[in-house]
Amino acid sequence: MTDADHGPDRAAVEVPASDVPADELRRLHPLTPLLRSWRIVGAAGALGFGVFRDQFDRVRWFWDAAHGDVDTSVLLKGFVVVLAIAVVAVVASWLAWRVTGFAIVTDERGVRTLLYQRGLFVRQRRQVRLNRVQSVDVNQPFYARPVGLALVRLDMAAGEGASVDLSFLRASEAWELRAEILPHTSVGPKARANAAEPAVPDTLIAQVSTTQVVCSTLLDGVLTWSLTLVWLLGIGVAVVVWGSAAIVAGLSGIVIVTIALLAQTRRQVLEMFRDANFRLYRTATGVRLSSGLTSTINRTIDHDRIQGVRVEEPWLWRRLGWARVRLDIAGARGDDEPPASLIPVADRAAAYGLVADVTGVDLDLAAYAGPGQRSRVVDPVGASFLGVALLAHGAARREGRWRRSTSYVPFARVQSVSARQGLLQRQLGLATLHLDLPKGAGRWTARHRGTPDAARLVQVLSARAREHRLSESSSA
Amino acid sequence: MPDVPADPLFLDPDLDWQPVSPKLITERRLPWLGCAALGVFFAVVALTAGAGDTTMAVAFWALAAASVAMFALAWLVIVPRVSSTWRYAERDQDLLVRRGRVYRRLTVVPYGRMQVIEVTANPVSRKLGIATVTLVTASASTDARIPGVPEDTAHQLRDRLAARGEASAAGL
Repeated sequence: MTDADHGPDRAAVEVPASDVPADELRRLHPLTPLLRSWRIVGAAGALGFGVFRDQFDRVRWFWDAAHGDVDTSVLLKGFVVVLAIAVVAVVASWLAWRVTGFAIVTDERGVRTLLYQRGLFVRQRRQVRLNRVQSVDVNQPFYARPVGLALVRLDMAAGEGASVDLSFLRASEAWELRAEILPHTSVGPKARANAAEPAVPDTLIAQVSTTQVVCSTLLDGVLTWSLTLVWLLGIGVAVVVWGSAAIVAGLSGIVIVTIALLAQTRRQVLEMFRDANFRLYRTATGVRLSSGLTSTINRTIDHDRIQGVRVEEPWLWRRLGWARVRLDIAGARGDDEPPASLIPVADRAAAYGLVADVTGVDLDLAAYAGPGQRSRVVDPVGASFLGVALLAHGAARREGRWRRSTSYVPFARVQSVSARQGLLQRQLGLATLHLDLPKGAGRWTARHRGTPDAARLVQVLSARAREHRLSESSSA
Repeated sequence: MPDVPADPLFLDPDLDWQPVSPKLITERRLPWLGCAALGVFFAVVALTAGAGDTTMAVAFWALAAASVAMFALAWLVIVPRVSSTWRYAERDQDLLVRRGRVYRRLTVVPYGRMQVIEVTANPVSRKLGIATVTLVTASASTDARIPGVPEDTAHQLRDRLAARGEASAAGL
């Protein structure tokens, strides 16, 4: 993307606010304002309940009032006020809904743009050029599920602004909209190349049941879970022995332990919720994940957007021959979001098979070169599990005595190569290598390589990174 | 300026390594000099204000201020050994930056991966006529920063890098 093709394109989509054709404006579902403010509604409800809870005698007052024991004019006034507030709220949200909508317009050059506007007093408008969109997904948050609504999320290329959510639409409409938008996105040209053949529906290639996800996550975090249990039991016993002061003492005394345990537990529970009901589909240009216990999340991942793949095998899983595959994706959402799972749990062979499917390399069969003998001095436990393999289009490394992880990075994604050496490492003639990757992907680290090997790797990796990036841009 | 020991990995002898300006040492020394001056000042204040007072408090504050000053003075001696280790080398296709004496680092950035080249200078370094050249890539973890480059060299370097970056195309 150079400035030359950027400028005019941007200018072409600068449509004045009044130009959104009223007849082309598509509205969202009327329940949208209510669902959007579900937090506020919930908070108001909770607050009302909280205020009311202490005053149950008021309920009796209402009861008396309803039976004519009290001057009803007070009740009537209250009712009128509530009604007025309700009417105002309904009218305001109806007005807001009236001006919220989107339209897909085509300019004279055939570039399709999605215009999205909202806001009654402060008009917000966003323009999304469909050819910059990298994925179109239909998601169903848990609060939209009972009413059968869904949102359509458009993900842009990295650095072109956050994603846009069109919320809410009826689930069937959302899928229709996705089908309408998809051919015009950046996934489009490749899809159009074989447009002659009829559109292939997504094929299911893997599926994990909720039970499997729950069992495997419990097994993975067995240490955390048992620690949490021991912790809670300890506090319980302390309370019995020393009274409630022990809770305060226990919680404040070892606050860090509590926070760490809670954070870990929270992460695992969230992940469990997210990965439950997991389905993996093959699409024309990549894969689509669909999962979620309470909220259904769909994620379409183009092969081109994959920045890295990681196979994780926790110690207990290895006894059972299980593995998990995670993906780093370009232009991903927030940094706090855990990396997407390509598969939350699968047989080892199946997991490596999926990796081969997505990246075209068999990570299990790659020839990993171990670090030098002297690395045992620095890392006596894990040294024999360290390894690096240079493959045709990327670099793989593995590490971890207990939690084994194998990660693969395509050379075309590598931004820079660096080497580091501490004092002890220098005495032993070792150095640690890093590959820096774009945002959304973690660092690739090869620990404790012998210095001659490290020097060679720095040369080879930086040269490969350069070449692969050149070959990629010339083919694009 | 202390020399950096030869090292095949972090200081490839076949390359034309450029040192940074010795003025970087001056710039890095200034904050520690200020720190030492403040320490001495407060130690003197504590001793004069508390003269005749025999409680431990005066001795404690004076000692605290004096040890801050001692620490800062020790750093003044160490700074040249740390700051003189920055080197950079331009190759046909990439830029190498190395630093560190005890904990060594080397970063290799291919020209094609550069997104932004920044030349920054704070008032002190402007006064000294040096600037920091920073290479920004799509990765947040890329640590390619060269402090203490003489100003005109920095501008030449920036222009050269920009031209090379353009030649090897852009984008993610």
